[in-house]
Amino acid sequence: MIELTAKKYSATVLEIQRMSTEDGPGLRTTVFLKGCSLKCKWCHNPESISGTPQTQWVGNRCIGCKTCLGICVNRCLSFNENGLDINRAKCRGCGTCAEACPSTALELMGEEWMLDDLLREVAKDKAYFDKSMGGVTISGGEPALQPKFVTEFLKGLKEMGIQTALDTCGLCSASSLEMILPYATMVLFDLKEIDPVKHQEFTGGDLDKILRNLLLIRDTIRSHVHPKTLWIRTPIIPGTTDRHDNIRNIGRYLADNLGNTMDRWELCSFNNLCKDKYQRLGLEWEYENSDLMTESEMDALLSTARSSGINPDLVMWSGSTRLEEETGNKNEQNIV
Amino acid sequence: MVSTGAAKLRIKEPVGLSDRIKWLRDYYFKGLKRSWNNEFTAWSTGTAWDIQFPEFTYYIVPEIYMLLETMNGGYHQAARDVRLDPEFWSWSLAERRAWFVKEVMVNYLPREILPGDLLAGARFNIITSLCFTEKERKLYDRRIKGKKGSREQMKWFHDHGYGNAGSTSGHLIPGYERVLRIGWKGIYEDLERRYHALNPAEQKGSKGEQLRAMMTSARMPKELATKYADVCRTLSADEKDGARKAELLIMSENLARVPWLPPKNFWEAVQSLWLTHMLVMSDENYPGPGVSFGRIDQYLLPFWRISKAQGMDPDFAKEILKCFWIHCNTAYDATIRNGHQGITAGYGQLITLSGLGPKGEDMTNELTYLILDVIDEMSPILEPKPNVRLHRNTPDKLMNKLVSMISTSQGAPFLLNFDERSMAGMMLQARKAGLGHLINKENVHEYAPVGCLENTMVGNDRSGTVDNNLNLLKAVELALTGGKDLLPYTDPLTGKTEKIRQDGPNTGNPEKFKNFDRFWQAYAKQTGYIVQKCAETYEMSESIRAELFPTPYLSCLVKGCAEKARDISQGASEINFTTLEAVTYATTVDSLLAIKYLVFDRKHCTILELRKALEDNWEGHDILQAMAINKAPKYGRNDDEADELGRKVMDLWCREAWKHKTKATNRQFRPGMLSWNYWAGDGYVMAASANGRKKGQFLSNAICPSNGADTKGPTANANSVGYVLGGKAEGEAGDWDNYLNCLPNGASHTITFNPSILRDPEHSDKFKAFLQGYTENGGTALQVNILDPDILREAQKHPQDYRHLLVRITGYNAYFTTVGKELQNEVIERLSHSCF
Repeated sequence: MIELTAKKYSATVLEIQRMSTEDGPGLRTTVFLKGCSLKCKWCHNPESISGTPQTQWVGNRCIGCKTCLGICVNRCLSFNENGLDINRAKCRGCGTCAEACPSTALELMGEEWMLDDLLREVAKDKAYFDKSMGGVTISGGEPALQPKFVTEFLKGLKEMGIQTALDTCGLCSASSLEMILPYATMVLFDLKEIDPVKHQEFTGGDLDKILRNLLLIRDTIRSHVHPKTLWIRTPIIPGTTDRHDNIRNIGRYLADNLGNTMDRWELCSFNNLCKDKYQRLGLEWEYENSDLMTESEMDALLSTARSSGINPDLVMWSGSTRLEEETGNKNEQNIV
Repeated sequence: MVSTGAAKLRIKEPVGLSDRIKWLRDYYFKGLKRSWNNEFTAWSTGTAWDIQFPEFTYYIVPEIYMLLETMNGGYHQAARDVRLDPEFWSWSLAERRAWFVKEVMVNYLPREILPGDLLAGARFNIITSLCFTEKERKLYDRRIKGKKGSREQMKWFHDHGYGNAGSTSGHLIPGYERVLRIGWKGIYEDLERRYHALNPAEQKGSKGEQLRAMMTSARMPKELATKYADVCRTLSADEKDGARKAELLIMSENLARVPWLPPKNFWEAVQSLWLTHMLVMSDENYPGPGVSFGRIDQYLLPFWRISKAQGMDPDFAKEILKCFWIHCNTAYDATIRNGHQGITAGYGQLITLSGLGPKGEDMTNELTYLILDVIDEMSPILEPKPNVRLHRNTPDKLMNKLVSMISTSQGAPFLLNFDERSMAGMMLQARKAGLGHLINKENVHEYAPVGCLENTMVGNDRSGTVDNNLNLLKAVELALTGGKDLLPYTDPLTGKTEKIRQDGPNTGNPEKFKNFDRFWQAYAKQTGYIVQKCAETYEMSESIRAELFPTPYLSCLVKGCAEKARDISQGASEINFTTLEAVTYATTVDSLLAIKYLVFDRKHCTILELRKALEDNWEGHDILQAMAINKAPKYGRNDDEADELGRKVMDLWCREAWKHKTKATNRQFRPGMLSWNYWAGDGYVMAASANGRKKGQFLSNAICPSNGADTKGPTANANSVGYVLGGKAEGEAGDWDNYLNCLPNGASHTITFNPSILRDPEHSDKFKAFLQGYTENGGTALQVNILDPDILREAQKHPQDYRHLLVRITGYNAYFTTVGKELQNEVIERLSHSCF
């Protein structure tokens, strides 16, 4: 068991999202931790991959005061025709420039939170959790990379009577999972690709280890009070994971191995709202010009998933789809 | 369980209307193209000194300050003479007014029944003579237009950025329930009994005058109904269609009984309610604003049960109610030619649905659902405005119905009131004003909101819910200058610039303030001053109304007036508050937070540098302004430090409000937060503020966070609101259960949601849970907007395609395409800043 006093724990938090409606049942507060064990090509949150704080510049907020230039001790910053350039090789993410930036154009992604402070912060919405069977989701990045903090955090929430969810990509040590799971009311588990070679290519991670962890979760659910619930999530990425054989084989795997120890399988359609994030981090993104999935493509994948041997009632899809020509009433439009 | 990510947003259209209602509704929306309308007609005593327009009731509408003389002249010119009773000039003013209004309504105004209409009572918008003698007219002019008269004072108050104040008509819930119980006959007999109980001296005095006036008024509904009964009988005789012929005959029979006698069934009850209600608007010469119905699903229920037992089809009951809906909307015809200005753009004849009962039980009933169906089928339409009372035990069935209605409209077609928080505020005011015998644990559940969300008791309460609108921000300005305007005032007409004077107390040179506490002390002193200034400004119009504008018909409907033999305008209602509605709350809190952050905590600038930036309207102070906007803490994010100061600001101004009473009418001031559209208009009047806002940008609305400041989403926003209202007490120490609420009037709170929150049943449940969470953590009232910025921009470009797009801001409902560009942009900006 954990011996250290809770107060000493801290974690690098990327974002605290309140009234989240997409990370588990009910109304939730989702805490995104920084640092991930996978490097998915399509990653929607590229700023969550690195475990250390990073600086970004949001151009349309900048008022051009150049306060930042004089303040950076490492001289990482310079203005060019595209705006502010951050020398990534030199920037240590110290946050001094972001602290000084009057317009918050410069942002430090990743903030150190003490355990007690974080508990107090997320408990503010307990009334909404209680009314909705919601709670707190710990996500990332990969939260299981900070197992001691996450364990203490979920434990603290449980003591306050708040339901908890662990959102994991599955690539972590089994011992970390074993430590966290007893305090997680539910698990959101990402299973993105079932072909081991492709999985390695797309995510840089070992599928076998992920599947072994999934079985560990299954066994824990079957033999323990907690967790109670397991949702599987599969991102549908155009030209990548959106193959019918991938979905069919994931479905078969789930049917063969999880049986009724699974409560939902959600196909999450590709989203391109993160395009700007890549630009701001100075990164290339293979999917920059990819279209969103169409509604009919998602429906087709849904029926493949439903006929893969799994209880079809457990499968659903979510997310935004391509805006297509409206034929009906002109006062009608797609809201994403 | 398929969840599609994209939600379809449609402009809400009416559904399921019968040919009758469809015709009436379409006809109503033809506006000026109608051959019939309910436009103001003006009426005169025919004297040379006659005057019609009670201008003080419009002192809270800055949009028409420039037009006051035009209105006075225009109505006077348009007024037709009424042949006076030979005794007329021997009567008291109250008797003259009572007789004159009755005479116009019964003998002068045309009476029509629209095709298919099931209710009588069409024209009621009148501007009648104030019935002054020459001497009274001179007195009136002196009090209004003389040096230091009410007009000069209210204009000064507004032009210098303090706000506005004036004794306004409407804004109460008359005792309609009593009319349904005992009829006007019962009210008349009660007045008669009281009159005869007076001794001869009293009968000759003001008490006798008032009771005689009220007795005259109490006969008006009967005399008018009798005339309408004749119209229906004649129409029936000429009618070819058998079904319609029968309807008209029943209508004439109904009118022969009600509102004089208590109704015997649902149709009679609705007819009685309508005639009784519309005559309040005639009596006050004020078409609608805030004359509210209270809990109609409760007091109409017994009549619906009778009619149902007698075989009335629920669809026909809805048909009667839909006619009632159309009638309420004709209030707007008053100024159909020149449009609606400011506060008068949304009338707010409010109906209340559901809510708690005497034993803490839920009072939702079959009529609640029937009326919700009517709202759903008639929407979008402005009147009557519904407010649904929610509480911890609101049944799931009702919640589901409400959420489903929200998901098919462009926002909730009703306001939501939250009982526990609201009742805590009502209990507080009972304690503060020593009214425990009138408001207590046993009856506080009978409260109902007026206008939008202004909580009052029913049938015995006039609380001036829109009468005083004070910009709290002015006190920050005065604390920065030591009691002077930051910028000199220039009259837009004459171009003359006034000299800056020492208006408020001299709280010293802020440069000398060593810490934020010292600044706070100056701010507190200036807050005391502006509240007092508001009370003084209000006293002007309040005393004029008390002396010169009796409303004897309305007085018949409010408990306390007959008992005291005194007019409601003289403060005779049993519960007799006037409400100080604080405007600019979040701008004030955020400005104080910015001063603390920039000057005292981080020392980014001196206080004089900051003041200079405000004088320069932030021009040339970009960096400081950016820090004020982006770096200083803000109210509305559930941030402990910011909300703590928010509560301190709240406690301070509430304490100041409770210190005052009107002299003429002994009305205790009570605090509330409404804002109407003042937060938009006064943004052009008030100087730049320390939160980074420039002059000309809008101020914050009611209890809402500043625009764009609520970056943490709806739960954080709601938590901040609940906290600054008082939050919850430990154990049983709350005013209602463990709830606290320092604003008995209530506080307007609007949150705009993205339509995707309602995209499928699973998400609708989440939205429902938000409302249930709001019951615990939030404020007294919530307006839910579901909008998309793109559709609004589209509507801006192509208004012709979006005629029915309804937006709601602070309970101020308006068709989006009819509001000004600035306000349109404002709505769009709010939505674009939401983080969903």
